[in-house]
Amino acid sequence: MTTTIIWTIAILTVLGAVLAVVLYFVAEKFKVEEDPRIDEVEKVLPGANCGGCGQAGCRAFAQFCVESSPNLDKCFCPVGGNEGMQKVAAVLGVEVAAKEPQVAVVRCNGTCENRPRTNEYGGYQSCRVKAALYSGDTGCSFGCLGCGDCVNACQFGAISMDPATGLPVVDEEKCTACGACVKSCPKNIIELRNKGRRNMRVFVSCVNKDKGAVARKACKAACIGCGKCAKVCAFDAITVENNVAYIDFTKCKLCKKCVAECPTGAIHAVNFPVIKPKPAAEAPAEPKPAPVAEPVKKEE
Amino acid sequence: MMKTFSIGGIHPSDSKISKDCKIEVLPVPSKVFISVAQHLGAPATPVVKVGDQVKVGQVIAEPAGFISAYVHSSVSGTVKSVGPRKDLAGNNMTHIEIDVEGDEWIEEADLSDTLITAIPEDNKAILEKIKMCGVVGLGGATFPAHVKLCPPPGKKADCLILNGAECEPYLTSDYRIMLERSKEIVVGAAIMKQVLGGCPAVIGIEENKPEAIKAMTAAVAELQKTAKGYDGISVMTLKKKYPQGGEKQLIDAVMSRQVKSMGLPIDVGAVVQNVATSLAVYEAVQKNIPLITNVLTVTGDCLPMDKQHNYKFRIGMPLSYIAEIAGGVPAEAAKIISGGPMMGKAIANMDATTVKGSSSLLYLTAEQTVRGVESACIRCGKCAEACPMGLEPFLLNKYARNNMMDELEENAIQDCIECGCCLYSCPANIPLLDIIRIAKGDVIRIIRGRVQQGKK
Repeated sequence: MTTTIIWTIAILTVLGAVLAVVLYFVAEKFKVEEDPRIDEVEKVLPGANCGGCGQAGCRAFAQFCVESSPNLDKCFCPVGGNEGMQKVAAVLGVEVAAKEPQVAVVRCNGTCENRPRTNEYGGYQSCRVKAALYSGDTGCSFGCLGCGDCVNACQFGAISMDPATGLPVVDEEKCTACGACVKSCPKNIIELRNKGRRNMRVFVSCVNKDKGAVARKACKAACIGCGKCAKVCAFDAITVENNVAYIDFTKCKLCKKCVAECPTGAIHAVNFPVIKPKPAAEAPAEPKPAPVAEPVKKEE
Repeated sequence: MMKTFSIGGIHPSDSKISKDCKIEVLPVPSKVFISVAQHLGAPATPVVKVGDQVKVGQVIAEPAGFISAYVHSSVSGTVKSVGPRKDLAGNNMTHIEIDVEGDEWIEEADLSDTLITAIPEDNKAILEKIKMCGVVGLGGATFPAHVKLCPPPGKKADCLILNGAECEPYLTSDYRIMLERSKEIVVGAAIMKQVLGGCPAVIGIEENKPEAIKAMTAAVAELQKTAKGYDGISVMTLKKKYPQGGEKQLIDAVMSRQVKSMGLPIDVGAVVQNVATSLAVYEAVQKNIPLITNVLTVTGDCLPMDKQHNYKFRIGMPLSYIAEIAGGVPAEAAKIISGGPMMGKAIANMDATTVKGSSSLLYLTAEQTVRGVESACIRCGKCAEACPMGLEPFLLNKYARNNMMDELEENAIQDCIECGCCLYSCPANIPLLDIIRIAKGDVIRIIRGRVQQGKK
């Protein structure tokens, strides 16, 4: 009885020792060399695995950063932002240029009021499915379909549908500009735009490429491509192509002249300080933008 | 023992309410809008300018690629505009607007009723005529007919199958032409058969159309007796099952051959054409009349018998115009479908115009169109049983919702023919087809991208 136990222990011990030696040599022979910096970079990343950087996940991004070091121009983690990238650069011991923070912007103003429904959609509630079937339940074939694919795509809970307007609303605090909503929108309505100074932005909230009359008939707040905004812009920031205006956010100086000029109200200015009722009562259009534009220029 | 395809299929009620309504010719409206995208492939390029005088049958748009087709004017008059207009789905497409003045046809068109049974000998000239007359497949896909009739080198057609199945419920346009134009269809079949090198031709008709079977059999027998070149044409009665009219299903039913995944019918020696296409081929080759008319069914359960119609329409007529002539849109109609309840499309824009492939204005009531509340999949397998391509829709649904492209491809999502059997049979009301259709597009794009990369 005791001998059996002793023998068993002895055999297993010898077997274990032999196999340990074999395993040691095998492990040495087939060792995978991995840059230890990958682990370190991964540690400073947010770990959202959202794919906003264009890589398969945070670890893949860390590897990409290490591989492309010392030049990190092509690497940008939208979730971590500039702060996060500074940390990555510090780990790798290189310099990285700061990027303008961005935010997702919904370029459609086809609220239930502006854009009357012409038919009723009874199919599966998904923008991609709806877009594959037809142009949508309004006269506008370019606007928001309102099924919320962008809401489902957002990992950060930054987009929600406004039941009153039927349009998605971006929570600027939560938005990391990962671009998942941009990819999910079959109508290409959502765009990543620079956040701008003090979060102030001016953009054309419409992508309708129909001719003016057709666009206006479908939606009261449509861009009709009249070009008035492009004429009034002193910085060449606005281009009108295919009957729709586009404001280049790198050129826009936030003077808001175009906002006042737009006949349909398609150009939106957001996060500007609210003008007190005093000047609003005084002047109709022209003097209004001036007081707002000034502080911006000072900062520059 | 009647033949049918071997796997899957469903049996929806056939609801051929308008089957006894004779084909009526619609009056020409004062204005038509002719779309340049009436076929599969690249939209045609307009060749007329504003102010041009056109005759009926004159070419107004030329093909813009190998898979594309000529478009002809369906009326005579003046071109008023060439520009974007909203189509059936509300998307912009170039339309040619023509103000109608009189009804003057091109000179070569033979408008008489005489049946021409002698088939021209020059196959090349026949193909050229089919191409020049803009004939496209009228079974639904509107694939240019001349492309299908020229098998690629090294491949030979063993059998021409004429699709007279009309398995979509409600539609009766093919049925009516099989009754009223049976001889012309047989002549068209003989022409196509000759072009393909004299292979046998089989006209497949479902058992629920006994009159059509009788009429077509009689027409074949008579032409075989009186004229040359009609040997080897036969009529085959098929068991009623949807989607019998699917190309791959019909080949399986008639020839008992299966087209492999991503393959073409010609790989197994089959060429399938619709009976309406055969009629268009007859008109093009024997009468020099381009494809500017087709037959459309106006039907629905909510329409009284006297408002059910089969109309011969000219392309470019607004749907609203046809609806008005047919007696207006019934108040009960909640959805108007173009092209049958199974695979047709809901019409979002009644101002859209008819195209070569238009086959119906089907009024469905709210009760018929409402979707049930979606519940969880219990893997009952009804969809897999119903799928005529032998796929497992419940599985594809799961993979598609999780964007698992490799698994989707392994499970042959690219073979889906979008017949809707899975959606029809699902007791949990899962929108299987909607989800699978989108994922199928993605997978096919991936496959094409890979093929192109391989070529480079």
